[in-house]
Amino acid sequence: MKILVVDDTDAVLLLISRFVEALGHSAVQARNGQEAIDTWRAHRPDLVLMDMMMPVMSGPEAAAIIKAESGAVWVPIVFVTGVGEENRLAEAIEQGADDYINKPVNFRVLEAKLKAFSRTLDLNRQVVEQSTKLADYYDRAEEEKRVARHLIEQMVNAERLSDPGLEYWLSPAESLSGDLIAAARTPGQVLHVLLADGIGHGLTAALNVLPLTQPFYSMTEKGYSISDILAEMNNKIRQVLPVGRFVAVTLLALDEANDCVEIWNGGMPALQILDPSGRLLKSVPSSNLPLGIIPSHSMDFVPVRHYYDQQGLIVACSDGLIEAHVPGADAYGFDRLLGAIAGNLAGNRIDSVKDSLAGYLQGHPHHDDVSLVLMAFGGDTPPPATQDHGDAQPASDFTLPALLAIDECKWRYSLTLGADELRYINTVPFMMTFVNEIRALNHSQSDVFLILTELFVNAVDHGLLRMDSRLKHSAAGMEEYLLERSQRLANLQEGRIEIDLAGLDYGGSELLQIRVKDSGPGFNWAAWSRVEAGEPQQAHGRGILLLRALCSGIQFVGNGSEVLAFYRPHSGSDALH
Amino acid sequence: MTPTVQIEGSTGRVILSGQFDFSAHREFRQVCESLIANPEVREVLVDFQNVNYLDSSALGMLLLLKEKIGSANKTLALVNCRDAVKQVLEIACFGKIFTIR
Repeated sequence: MKILVVDDTDAVLLLISRFVEALGHSAVQARNGQEAIDTWRAHRPDLVLMDMMMPVMSGPEAAAIIKAESGAVWVPIVFVTGVGEENRLAEAIEQGADDYINKPVNFRVLEAKLKAFSRTLDLNRQVVEQSTKLADYYDRAEEEKRVARHLIEQMVNAERLSDPGLEYWLSPAESLSGDLIAAARTPGQVLHVLLADGIGHGLTAALNVLPLTQPFYSMTEKGYSISDILAEMNNKIRQVLPVGRFVAVTLLALDEANDCVEIWNGGMPALQILDPSGRLLKSVPSSNLPLGIIPSHSMDFVPVRHYYDQQGLIVACSDGLIEAHVPGADAYGFDRLLGAIAGNLAGNRIDSVKDSLAGYLQGHPHHDDVSLVLMAFGGDTPPPATQDHGDAQPASDFTLPALLAIDECKWRYSLTLGADELRYINTVPFMMTFVNEIRALNHSQSDVFLILTELFVNAVDHGLLRMDSRLKHSAAGMEEYLLERSQRLANLQEGRIEIDLAGLDYGGSELLQIRVKDSGPGFNWAAWSRVEAGEPQQAHGRGILLLRALCSGIQFVGNGSEVLAFYRPHSGSDALH
Repeated sequence: MTPTVQIEGSTGRVILSGQFDFSAHREFRQVCESLIANPEVREVLVDFQNVNYLDSSALGMLLLLKEKIGSANKTLALVNCRDAVKQVLEIACFGKIFTIR
């Protein structure tokens, strides 16, 4: 140790210094309190041995200043005291001195005390080192959390959650949420809403739900169905998360064009479907394992379908809300949740749930992440897709270009699928991957998706599978139709669908030609389109009306198994207003 | 929560009590590993008789256990699941991949 020895008597100063050096320490000297402070500043000794009564500045005064200046670093100060100085000594020790030794100095005792201080100093240094390290760790952890939070917010993209008809609340138990809410619309304007709950809470839980965002957004953008998205999310979780980690998921698809909500629930609390007066209409409990546990081919991703003929509200939440409780009391539960919503149906329902939960917990925190999604359906607003095209270019100034013009196309994309391929390729989303790359179609992806879907489904359902649209008249009929369709598709022995996309130059502006041909026997298209136009309210009539609204021209060729549709893409400036 | 173990013949029973969550992680794993390592034990039962609450990290632990038991060629069953435990297992549809008695 480096020891500062302070005494105004030269003989004592020398004697103690020599002794300290004999014990293997180094000594620096000072002759009064002021010198002691100066020397302490210059040499930063480990310990101070100091006389009390000195000229210029006394020991206790110097000790107080040294203690104040040394701050968090501990510098032991030991007073060397004579007889009769007990009162001042007590004061000095109260003010921060650490120990004393009596004059005349017993060197055996001094040696023992120095050893003791040396041990305590070591210990003290370790503590300081560890607490600095701890503070570093804390800072680093906070910084990592900040970055993680930013990253997650970017990936989750809260902006996309602002959809009319969708309200949500997410309240993490820690700074990061293991619950995830995401929403996006397909090119066909079907609203997909994802609610996911990873194991636990905090950073690891947040990391668990992250792999879901990419397939959710990118596949929704291309128009994939929720079954396809679920399979991909399941694969992704199994691929990136360790065994024992899984994610409970609810995925909803609101198809306002067909008055249908598709619901898939794997491990989340039951979804509640409410009627316009807030009464419970139907509950959709979890009937599937959470994602990430077993391979996709062993999972059943077929959603539950709810067809509606009036307005209503879907309530989806994580177990953190339903199971929130104060110690010793019941969980918050569905009854309180639905009561809070029904009690304020026309107002801000999310706020009334927040108030209700806060009142129930009486200031206690909730221990798990809480998330809640309210999705209204059956509102008066027609789906945005058809709204957008009220201003579709009138067909009157448009004459169908000769089919020959296709030879002069700027680009062309042709696809032919046989019966086997039709069973497993999700054709339209697949083609959308290409369409999304074409710059001229940048602002028309949604339209192109709708046109392609209508034409393709028409060719498969009616051209190849010979399905009868009249089946679709009722809600039950829709189920029957879908069932029949999947059976016929599974049994389809032969059949081909050709799809041809071409970019044409039509008098200086862009024109998209879509040709879809099936190998079926064709149909009486003239009669079909007349009948459809007269029944605008029929679910199956919407297809042709939609096509007419979107396209500049539609032409059936030959026996009706081939159709040509011409579409004029929006330019960038059109899309802005 | 400290799990206790009973071995009768070729059946090893892990008896859990109270709240089964991440805080039970270490003990649960140790107990289960001792049963998996025991060549006498062919079947492992996880007994929820005295469990009143279980959370999603407990489900994760059960999945891990299932994996380990499977690779040791032993069988696993979850027994005496009541009330809250039963409800959580039902929501997660664990009946599809676990034997629950």
